[in-house]
Amino acid sequence: MEILSGLMQGFAVALQPMNLLWCFVGVVLGTVIGVMPGLGPPATIAMLLPLTFLMNPAAAMIMLAGIYYGAKYGGSTTSILLNVPGESASVATCIDGYQMARNGRAGAALGIAAIASFIAGTVGVLGLMLIAPPLARMSLAFSSPEYFALMALGLAMVVLLGGDSMVKALLATLVGLWLAGIGTDLFSQTSRFTFGRMELLSGIDFVVVAIGVFAIGEVLANMHERGGAPAIAVPKGLRNLLPTRQDLKDSRFAFANGSLVGFFIGVLPGAGSTIASFISYGIEKAVSRHPEKFGQGVVEGVAAPEGANNAETGGALIPMLTLGIPGSSTTAVLLAALVLWGFKPGPLFIPENPAMFWGLVASMYLGNVMLLVLNLPLVPVFAQVLRAPTYVLYPLVLGISVVGVYSTSSSLFDVWLLAGFGLGGYLMRKLDYPSAPLILGLVLGGAMERALRQSLMMSDGSLSILVARPVSAVMLSLALLILLVPLFGKFNAWRLKALK
Amino acid sequence: MKKHLLFALLVGSSTAFAQSFTPTRPIELVVHTGPGGGSDVLARAMVIMLEKEKLLPVRAQVANKPGGGGVVAAAYLAEKKGETHTIGIFTGVWLTNPLTSNEAKVSLKDLTPIARLLLEPAVIAVKADAPYKTLADFVNAAKQKPGELKQSGGSITSRDNVVRQQLQKATGTRWQFISFPGGGERIAALLGGHVNMMVIEPNEAGEHIRAGNMRVLAQVNETRLSAFPNVPTLKEAGFNVTPVPQVRGVVAPPGIPRENVAYWEGVFSKLSQTESWKKYVADNQFENAYQGAAELTKFYEEFTGQMRGILQEAGVKTVR
Repeated sequence: MEILSGLMQGFAVALQPMNLLWCFVGVVLGTVIGVMPGLGPPATIAMLLPLTFLMNPAAAMIMLAGIYYGAKYGGSTTSILLNVPGESASVATCIDGYQMARNGRAGAALGIAAIASFIAGTVGVLGLMLIAPPLARMSLAFSSPEYFALMALGLAMVVLLGGDSMVKALLATLVGLWLAGIGTDLFSQTSRFTFGRMELLSGIDFVVVAIGVFAIGEVLANMHERGGAPAIAVPKGLRNLLPTRQDLKDSRFAFANGSLVGFFIGVLPGAGSTIASFISYGIEKAVSRHPEKFGQGVVEGVAAPEGANNAETGGALIPMLTLGIPGSSTTAVLLAALVLWGFKPGPLFIPENPAMFWGLVASMYLGNVMLLVLNLPLVPVFAQVLRAPTYVLYPLVLGISVVGVYSTSSSLFDVWLLAGFGLGGYLMRKLDYPSAPLILGLVLGGAMERALRQSLMMSDGSLSILVARPVSAVMLSLALLILLVPLFGKFNAWRLKALK
Repeated sequence: MKKHLLFALLVGSSTAFAQSFTPTRPIELVVHTGPGGGSDVLARAMVIMLEKEKLLPVRAQVANKPGGGGVVAAAYLAEKKGETHTIGIFTGVWLTNPLTSNEAKVSLKDLTPIARLLLEPAVIAVKADAPYKTLADFVNAAKQKPGELKQSGGSITSRDNVVRQQLQKATGTRWQFISFPGGGERIAALLGGHVNMMVIEPNEAGEHIRAGNMRVLAQVNETRLSAFPNVPTLKEAGFNVTPVPQVRGVVAPPGIPRENVAYWEGVFSKLSQTESWKKYVADNQFENAYQGAAELTKFYEEFTGQMRGILQEAGVKTVR
């Protein structure tokens, strides 16, 4: 009942014409910055802070949050069309999304991404509305050992992401883990593998590697293989550009999986949407009836990670609003904005500012609807990009990649790194090494190492802390189980052979 | 050749005789964190206040140069030698980094000091249901179980660990220090009961105290903060520890004309007296600690010496 009256109050706030307008401005701006790689939500929100002083705080919060979840909608576009991950959370979308586009199903992939985003985004808001405070308390029980187990579970997904050769997948993972180790060690303040370069002191930005290996590597490999091959076929007619009934049916489980995994991982301050999207992709493949088709362009492979990175938004707002704890750089900027406006974010923020909280919740329902209505008609428009001949498309991809990387760091060093990783990605394709495991190793490596060392500091060096805590024990067993999946397959094949 | 020399002399003398400096293009305000980091938030608040109080005739824009905990931003400013429209916000790490990192070649001493603006006090907090009512309780517990109690914090060169090192040395005790990269994770570790204590900003602690989640044992400051009138400072609690201040201020690239320095000093000394600045400082429970360029240079020396000693005692390898 309390929730219902709160929601009524919230809609009364969110439906005020000015607030509705700001919500729209936020989601449109979010979509735009999401589509363009580089400039992300934290930088955009920070830049807009001075402007928000002219608005009332509720309207400002509604707009800034709109940028946050709107960017998640846009993020999939370049991943699917050009294999350029616009942000770290859409790397997992590249794996099947780009293959769908190459099969002439770009429209379906973009459409399913928008629908998955809408469903999961809405589920995320529902969770934020219904179970925020208890969930925030529960998330506190999660500490370093549990984070280590979660990262281990994520890393175990490698055996599902790899191509034909397990050895090659594991090698690629190791390289990713090594890349994650570059930079200043948090615990001893010593630099590792920096080769005396100050640019490497804070490590290699994940986006540089992802764009290099995925986008530039792909362009180089295609140029080598096909020369001036014709553009990718794009079917005519709106109907053929949207997901089919079968696509929606195939994605039913992925919608639920992405929504729940994204939301619950989002609540944890030390995890993040990249991990959420990879884990939901892994789950999707693990339970699929045709796992062998993943990586060749299946619609579930787009729906699950896209859902996860959208549901994460609702989850990530929970520790920020209920405890004043930011879990990501975007929530850190939002928190800073609240302080600048004169609020005191913390455990008492929601009880003392109910109109603000419920206004935000209601605006997020509305914003997600706006985004769906906005993004679906854009699908055919974006899909036309692929009609462009290679001599237009490839320079475009290279241009977007360089601009995207340079605009995040304004560092030319990063552009050189991008070129290096592009070459690396090309070689990996030539030698048939899968690139997703490398990215996964890089994403998880840093956090996993930190969590392990924190755990060992907590237990005074005893590894038993990892299995003595139930949540971490369960997750580590799951990780072990996933690692054994390929062995079961091998065993089964051998058994069938023996039976014959 | 001679012509060039003459020209240079003419230009040089004309700037030397110029009475004042006025910016003509937008000001670039360099910070070493990404959006949402401590210096970034301060910079953006400053831009708003400079505009509101009409202290600058041009716009100021924040430029994020993250990397190496300040190393990249310091190097960026050093590269902008002689540039009169770029300034940066420094913190103590700009002085400590060169002590521990070979790659950190640029120190604050290589840049032009402008002003010290803020000191940021801290408090020592435990979870509300912890058995420690005073800092002495905590220290005694640590004495009974050496190395078993835990503190969450940032890197080992951070103020969190400096306070721990000082307290450990003063009391002959030892407890664990667990580094977390994000401030949120440090608080979550304390509230979840995974660590026993943390050094936290008064503002963040304030809300958790009001909600009944946290208790403050002592203040890491020379004097009591107005928001915590009943909480003793470290000295009052009986610990002979001189708090190392957490500082923020403004620097400029090297080799800028003297009137440029004077101009910036003027802007920030005026800013530090405005109502909006005072309100910002009070809201965040900082300390208004304006110092001009000359005093700031002395502050560098003291701070660096103090930190070098503490880091060496903590077993951190110093390279300079």
